[in-house]
Amino acid sequence: MNFCAILLLFALTTLSWGKDLEAFPNLNLNDHRSVQEATRVLEEELKLAARPHTYVLIDLVGNTIHIKGRGVELHHMPIAQWSVGSWEKLTGIHRLVARPQVVRRKIEPGKGDEQEPISLADMPTDYDLSFSSGLTINVAPLAAKDNLVQAITFMGKSWWRRVKNWTSMIGTDQPSTSAASLEVTVSVDHAQSLAWSLVDGMAVLIRRAADQ
Amino acid sequence: MGRVLLACAAVTFLLVLIATAPDTRPVISASSQVVHRPVVQDGPGLRALQARYKTLSKQLFQLKPSQPYILVDTARNRLYVKHQGEVVLDAIASTGSGTILDKPGDDSSQWIFDTPRGEFLVQSKLTKPTWIKPDWAFIEEGLGVPKNAAERAEQGVLGDYALGFGKGYFIHGTLYTRLLGKNVTHGCIRLNDTDLKGVYTLARVGTPIMIF
Repeated sequence: MNFCAILLLFALTTLSWGKDLEAFPNLNLNDHRSVQEATRVLEEELKLAARPHTYVLIDLVGNTIHIKGRGVELHHMPIAQWSVGSWEKLTGIHRLVARPQVVRRKIEPGKGDEQEPISLADMPTDYDLSFSSGLTINVAPLAAKDNLVQAITFMGKSWWRRVKNWTSMIGTDQPSTSAASLEVTVSVDHAQSLAWSLVDGMAVLIRRAADQ
Repeated sequence: MGRVLLACAAVTFLLVLIATAPDTRPVISASSQVVHRPVVQDGPGLRALQARYKTLSKQLFQLKPSQPYILVDTARNRLYVKHQGEVVLDAIASTGSGTILDKPGDDSSQWIFDTPRGEFLVQSKLTKPTWIKPDWAFIEEGLGVPKNAAERAEQGVLGDYALGFGKGYFIHGTLYTRLLGKNVTHGCIRLNDTDLKGVYTLARVGTPIMIF
């Protein structure tokens, strides 16, 4: 009886350990394209995880933005909604070259504790991130369900972005293929949290949804 | 007047048309993402891919720290000691204020009081540390920078222990425990006495510190 219990415990431990070893627990191992994409991302991630820097993995299958270092998840943020311009251009490692400016407060010598530090609340909620590869990621905030004014404001901004895209498409007479774009909608808190976590030159990887 | 009204109506109509036009990009809602293709057996190609995926997953797993590591969330001012995915210690911290201070006599140069992000290692472990006040500490207080090095030494302000992680940054104690949980430091990471002792006990020289 005791032997059976030990055997069962051993089997459960081994099983859970095996699952821990998998980089993407939500991966459908029978889907060729999904496994291919996961493998591609892992090959890129291994290069990043081998170095002492934090990086971002945007998982469009798991709908999560991960801040990682050495393969360890440091923080994650759920994605409510996303849309993509060109799938092909999302591969590879993207280096952040431009992010929203944060207004830093200047210390006035001799004023001591009166000076307010910056905090998460000072971070932007709706912003664009530009990468060396030409990729642009637009981070848009998700309006709170009970806040009509916020919902209208965010919808207005989204419409304005569409107008801009549409007019640029008219100018070129076809969708732009030179640069990729990804729009992710996250909660206001997570948009600010992401803005806080990003540093210049930070690497970003994207795991594409194989079903698209 | 009639022409103006007609023009306004035309512009409004155009804007409504643009705003309601379908976006050319697919919009994916997070809730609709659990879509897997039907199970397909793709023969040796899929099996080779699965094997490659498992090998890469294992390689990524091996890059994760096998010893306890320190994780610092500068946005929420929390410090964790983690070991094999489990939180061993959870502490409220104070991290960099993000403020700036002009360097005297230099028009363009500034100090930026951020906690550095990325991966670091515990380089030193000190007991009863003495704070050697840098230039900015005097300038911030509106004082002149002393020429005598002995005038920079200050006892008892860093707590009982300090863990150095390079370039003058330390995890140390504080007299201002009411400010824990806020971004108020010049880049160092402050803890209360109990948590500081815990971190000092758990960490060794070489323990990784991941900061985001």
